[in-house]
Amino acid sequence: MLKALLQGKPFGHPLHPALVHFPIGLLILSLLLDIAARLWTDQEGLYQAAFYTMAFGTVAGALAAIAGFADWTDIRRDHPAKKTATTHMLLNLTALALFGINLFLRSRQPGLAGTSLVYLGLSLAGVGIILVSGYLGGKMVYEDGIGAGRHRRHTPTPTETIRVSGRDAQEGWAPVYDAEAMKDGETLRVDYDGKIIAIAKQGGEVYAFQEFCTHRYGPLSEGKICDHQVECPWHRSRFDIRSGKVVEGPAKVDMKTYKVAIREGKIFIR
Amino acid sequence: MIDFLQGKWLKHPLHPALVHVPTALWPAALVFDVLSRFGNGNNLFVQIAFYAILFGLLVALLAIPTGYADWTDIRREKPAWKLGLYHMGLNLTIWVLEAANLGLRRQGFQTEAMATPAQVGLSALAALLLIVSGYLGGRMIYAYGINVARLSKKKWREIAKEGGAAIPPEKGE
Repeated sequence: MLKALLQGKPFGHPLHPALVHFPIGLLILSLLLDIAARLWTDQEGLYQAAFYTMAFGTVAGALAAIAGFADWTDIRRDHPAKKTATTHMLLNLTALALFGINLFLRSRQPGLAGTSLVYLGLSLAGVGIILVSGYLGGKMVYEDGIGAGRHRRHTPTPTETIRVSGRDAQEGWAPVYDAEAMKDGETLRVDYDGKIIAIAKQGGEVYAFQEFCTHRYGPLSEGKICDHQVECPWHRSRFDIRSGKVVEGPAKVDMKTYKVAIREGKIFIR
Repeated sequence: MIDFLQGKWLKHPLHPALVHVPTALWPAALVFDVLSRFGNGNNLFVQIAFYAILFGLLVALLAIPTGYADWTDIRREKPAWKLGLYHMGLNLTIWVLEAANLGLRRQGFQTEAMATPAQVGLSALAALLLIVSGYLGGRMIYAYGINVARLSKKKWREIAKEGGAAIPPEKGE
């Protein structure tokens, strides 16, 4: 599937963060060459070097944008990083547009390239935006674990959190979802009056357990479900989804499990 | 010092931010080298490749200590420790190759129209090793979670606590 390829799943490494090196590195070099050209007079060559470096960086940035968009679609709609991701995308598109204009203007006056402060200003603004945006991109990975362990998961991850309330419950049993609508290895993320619960289907059975890993609190609803275990996407801690016991570290503390019942084709949890 | 190199002050690890520059510029130097071989006799691409290699070398000098600081936090029995060791060995090799590459170019970068076969060869070898090494570095993050939630574990701990999760006692991290 094209999306899996754009997300780099066959390589076990997301594609977007591998591609972004190129626009980031090249566009920064382009700006430095522009500045160097101003510091040393008679350096027409440096302006041209800045132009080509910018052209390569912009093309590479457009490619990175495609892979980045594929990654964006898989972030849960109510994940705090979704907003960061949207900002990151809008900033990058703005920077790409600025460099596009920059290149267009420069290409129309090859002999005069760099003589106008407008060009330098456009490059400065573009690189400034990229630095901010790159910081946000890094925060998504290192703070929120976006993209980490995603390739090990073979079913789609939850696109949103299902909210259920005790008011709809009978004796604490709250209806969540159609049991038949869940495929094997699939998960749901549920907010039951503030308790965040992951629900997984395996071998025809449905299990409910806490959403957060007990190591660094990675999202278990995005983990791999296999052999009645859930593997945290971040650091591969594994828990038995029937008992909640730790099977494999780094986690040391067992996770909570919740009771599940199937009534008239609906999943209930308590 | 280790905290500084690991990027705690920036709330973002430093090493992966710095590596963009050499990772982009050294393979780009190879592309410019190849273009120079097909070029029109103009010195431009030789000059760009020279600046790309030079700027890459300078930023890599900063990337090396930050990467080493990150690596010291990985426990030896973890698979990522070995990946990190290979990653570091490859990167140090690549740095030396690119330094030699720059040395070969010092004389003629403002006059020559074409990169020599030796220069192109060094660029190609370095780029190849860099792709392998960059892949290993990426695997450390995306497959083994190195640096993931290291600086944000307090935030996630609070979120997990609010979400009713069992969590380890305060000092059990």
